[in-house]
Amino acid sequence: MAGLRVRHRRTVALDSVDLDLGPGVHGLLGPNGAGKTSLIRVLATVAAPTGGRVELLGDDVRDRRHRSAVRRRLGYLPQEFGYYPGFTVREFVAYVAWLKEMPAAQVPAAVERAVERVGLAERVDAKVKTLSGGMVRRVGIAQAIVNEPDVLLLDEPTAGLDPEQRVEFRALLRELGTATTVVVSTHLVEDVAAACTEVTLVEAGRIAYRGTPPALAELGESAGGAGDNPIERGYTAALRTHRAAALEEAALEEVAR
Amino acid sequence: MTDWHATDPHADDRLHPTDPHAGDRPHSTDPHTPDPHAPDWHAPDDLAFRYADGSLPEADAWSLEKHLEHCTPCASRVSRAVRETAAGAVLAEVRQSVLRAAPKSARKPAPAPAPAPSPTPARAPAPRLARVLWAAGPALRGAWLSAVLIVAVGAVVLAYGAGYTGARPLLLAVAPVVPVIGVALSYGAYADPLHEITASTPSAGLRLVLVRAAAVLVVSLPLLTLAGVLVPSSGAPGAAAWLLPGLALTLASLALAGYVGCPAATAVTGGGWLCAVLAPALAAPGGRLTARLADQLATVLDGAPAQGAWAAAAVLSAVALAVRRPAYDHLGRP
Repeated sequence: MAGLRVRHRRTVALDSVDLDLGPGVHGLLGPNGAGKTSLIRVLATVAAPTGGRVELLGDDVRDRRHRSAVRRRLGYLPQEFGYYPGFTVREFVAYVAWLKEMPAAQVPAAVERAVERVGLAERVDAKVKTLSGGMVRRVGIAQAIVNEPDVLLLDEPTAGLDPEQRVEFRALLRELGTATTVVVSTHLVEDVAAACTEVTLVEAGRIAYRGTPPALAELGESAGGAGDNPIERGYTAALRTHRAAALEEAALEEVAR
Repeated sequence: MTDWHATDPHADDRLHPTDPHAGDRPHSTDPHTPDPHAPDWHAPDDLAFRYADGSLPEADAWSLEKHLEHCTPCASRVSRAVRETAAGAVLAEVRQSVLRAAPKSARKPAPAPAPAPSPTPARAPAPRLARVLWAAGPALRGAWLSAVLIVAVGAVVLAYGAGYTGARPLLLAVAPVVPVIGVALSYGAYADPLHEITASTPSAGLRLVLVRAAAVLVVSLPLLTLAGVLVPSSGAPGAAAWLLPGLALTLASLALAGYVGCPAATAVTGGGWLCAVLAPALAAPGGRLTARLADQLATVLDGAPAQGAWAAAAVLSAVALAVRRPAYDHLGRP
């Protein structure tokens, strides 16, 4: 994507964001309201950017025909999603597989596999409404991966998972990242440290930092950011640098006027 | 037995049926192996090994193969022997790649060669029925379906249970709005709890909207028309007179939704219809309200010109919808 710009009425959610993502697990880290969800929704072809260009899997998603082809190879877990009250886990995941236009013959096996990968095999015939919040989130992950997507977009996937489930989920993320471009938004720095091959820090609609988790940790150690672990220190240090640079830029603009 | 000799007069003499007790020692390596065609004969290990390494004369190999067709113990013994040769590695590789390529469903029932079908397909949703229900979308699962049933059953109960004479006019006045509401509840962020996920799939857009609208019409048109047939006419138009207006209003809502969004569009078309029918009936002087409503409905619905106008409106709406199609492919607001 190049020069991506997203507006929410008057506020700018994303401003000239340039990102190039390949296979691997990309962590989107940033404070609440930084524009992570806007970025993911644009990538999921759910929302249109106000400006800029998004290319997914080599196709510009503004074209309707290309968009359909891209959507077949996409997996998306929204931050919040609903479900039909009567649906079981199996029906829910199979329904999304149907919406993704998977060949009908492949759907039952693909559903079994997706549900198994998120550790819900035993609850596959339970109604979604009887499941706990963490389990519903895992159902959401199952629907996202049911078509074995080439691009997987997960918005706060670890919210509501207990620590043990988070550990399992990170293992799944690492496995998925070997062949898929996974974009995970999170505000938990542990997720990034444990599962991501690359981390992108978003702050106030702009990219504040890009690098590998170890590099971010190193930055934290050298720049002496605040926090309980190296990544957290790196996070605060990078944010501080970015904010200082933004302030300086604003001041310069003021002087120029 | 004779054809064993006949097929290969030069067969290894160990294969000749000279041992009368062979049946008692099925797995023996006795050199005097009996005829493979005898009912109790079994292939000895060295025969299996020679078959595996290819040193067995061709005719003997054929005979052994014939025997293997109906003897599982020997077949597994020979196959074990073959797996121990150089061919074994190749076979294992082939097996792996076949299993990798095979659909996972075919692999699942493998553990037991039971004749009973595996539980997996039985638990899977019946595909056709499931697909029809899926296509129907949220309206047919929720409150709208109950509303249709209440309107249809309510009209019949009013007419026969309460002896109310205005059931047909009332039903005809309400019926065209029912599919419009159904369509409004079928698609979009405010109506479909799954919309955020749906919007990221290739199904999103006008096609899914139309499929769901069709499901809404398929349910509401026959139900409400049947209810109309069952209640006495009380001077109102025929029970089927609302079908074209219902279709036209539904299509008009969809076309208009491309400009102003679905909630506003359905409010305009549904509200417009109710105003056009109820307001003159309320304003008209004299007579009972139901009689005035029946008169107004007759004006709007009865006769070829009125029905023709509704048909034309339906066609125009369909054209407008086709023109406005790109609106359904637009991405949502951020």
